[in-house]
Amino acid sequence: MGEEKLYFEDVKEGAEAPVKSHTLTRTDLVRYAGASGDYNPMHHDEVIATASGQPSVFGHGMFSMGLLGTALTDFVGAGNVVRYRVRFSRQTWPGEELSTKIVVTAKREDGGRHLVDLECSLANGDGEVKVVGEATAVLPSRS
Amino acid sequence: MSSRAERTSGRNPAASAVGGGQDLQDLLSSFQGRSSGEPSPAADPVNQAMIRHFVEAMGDENPVYLDEEAARACGLPGVIAPPAMLQAWIMRGYRASLELERARAAGESAGSPTDELMALLDEAGFTSVVATNCEQDYLRPLFLGDHLSVRSSIESVSGLKQTALGAGHFLTTRMDFTDARGEAVATMHFRILKFRPRQSPRSAVGAMRPRPAITEDSAFFFEGTREGRLLVQSCGSCGKLRHPPAPACPECRSLDWDAVEVSPRGRVLSFVVVHHPQVPAFDYPLVVALVELHEGLRIVADMAGVEPADVAIGMEVEAGFEMIDQEIALPRFRPVGR
Repeated sequence: MGEEKLYFEDVKEGAEAPVKSHTLTRTDLVRYAGASGDYNPMHHDEVIATASGQPSVFGHGMFSMGLLGTALTDFVGAGNVVRYRVRFSRQTWPGEELSTKIVVTAKREDGGRHLVDLECSLANGDGEVKVVGEATAVLPSRS
Repeated sequence: MSSRAERTSGRNPAASAVGGGQDLQDLLSSFQGRSSGEPSPAADPVNQAMIRHFVEAMGDENPVYLDEEAARACGLPGVIAPPAMLQAWIMRGYRASLELERARAAGESAGSPTDELMALLDEAGFTSVVATNCEQDYLRPLFLGDHLSVRSSIESVSGLKQTALGAGHFLTTRMDFTDARGEAVATMHFRILKFRPRQSPRSAVGAMRPRPAITEDSAFFFEGTREGRLLVQSCGSCGKLRHPPAPACPECRSLDWDAVEVSPRGRVLSFVVVHHPQVPAFDYPLVVALVELHEGLRIVADMAGVEPADVAIGMEVEAGFEMIDQEIALPRFRPVGR
């Protein structure tokens, strides 16, 4: 967003938001640890992660949620999201290319507000789904 | 291993109930509805620097998080925080996490009810944690200068559930975020699974155990172990048996050989107990024995089914064969009759 405002009337059920892709790096995880305040060493300390039986460090669940959230807010407008729920289904690993998929599932009006429901997921290059969720946004109306 | 529970019992009154399933369940249930009390304020108000760190970590280039004009152009009164950044505003920070760890290690108060509950589950053996769900509801965007407070409460603690990761309890925490005027701005539900890993790290990640090098000369040995047979080389020229596998007979240097089956029984000639360094694929303490087979050959392998203190030189042992991954089985010795 930033340039074009998305109006309720412009959205169709089944429409898809532009895909965002990002290849996860260990530096991302360090950056995220500092930015989010989540210093669980499983996400940045390779020695501790492998000693716990993990093949390597892995991404924060909330990093995946945030990454998917950027595609969501780019599409509906950052101030318009009113609900965002996710389930973490798989771990993410450095080197994986993570891509977003966001689909409009419903349009509805509720108490004068124009609501759009969306289904969203984040998957790696092999189509393994990492995060699956749903969101609702309130969009401005032309009427 | 019981050492952890023994070491920590007595510090936390909750730990005494760890043994009994129903007692533990009752204790866990007693946490439901407990809260952190009065809302506690975030260390810092919503600010540009933290937002910048966050959007850079995310690769988020939306200008409404950094640029006042861009935000206004989108109809917002000013710069807003990314909605999914909600939790970051109330994280306790690195120093406080270290302090909590220190206090726990010293047997002092475990902190909030959530911290107490986590400590209790750790002591009951549910040592691993994985986030399963996060649900955020936003009542309004957060603007620069908003000073949040949060009140956390334990919404539910499930009974013992069997999951793909292992047996564990699902904990759902509810966080209510308010602004400086005490008005609600967001809620968050966070669900985690606190579980006892289903398998030891070795079996969970079998492929991580160092694999023996399988060569043209040694392949027969591993074909044998997979069938539960201990095979050694017998020289095709002088008949001498040898192990470990090698291309030539150390006696007559002949390159001819056959694989022959030998009895997996022998006696402990020597052994070591490995405590350190620990490789995740093995269980420690790890007993590694040099066993002399009845045929006089010697073989090195792990021992199982015996406490390290009970292993003795001369002990009669017999090898079993265990798959370490999908393809490779290795001999493991146990005292005869166990």
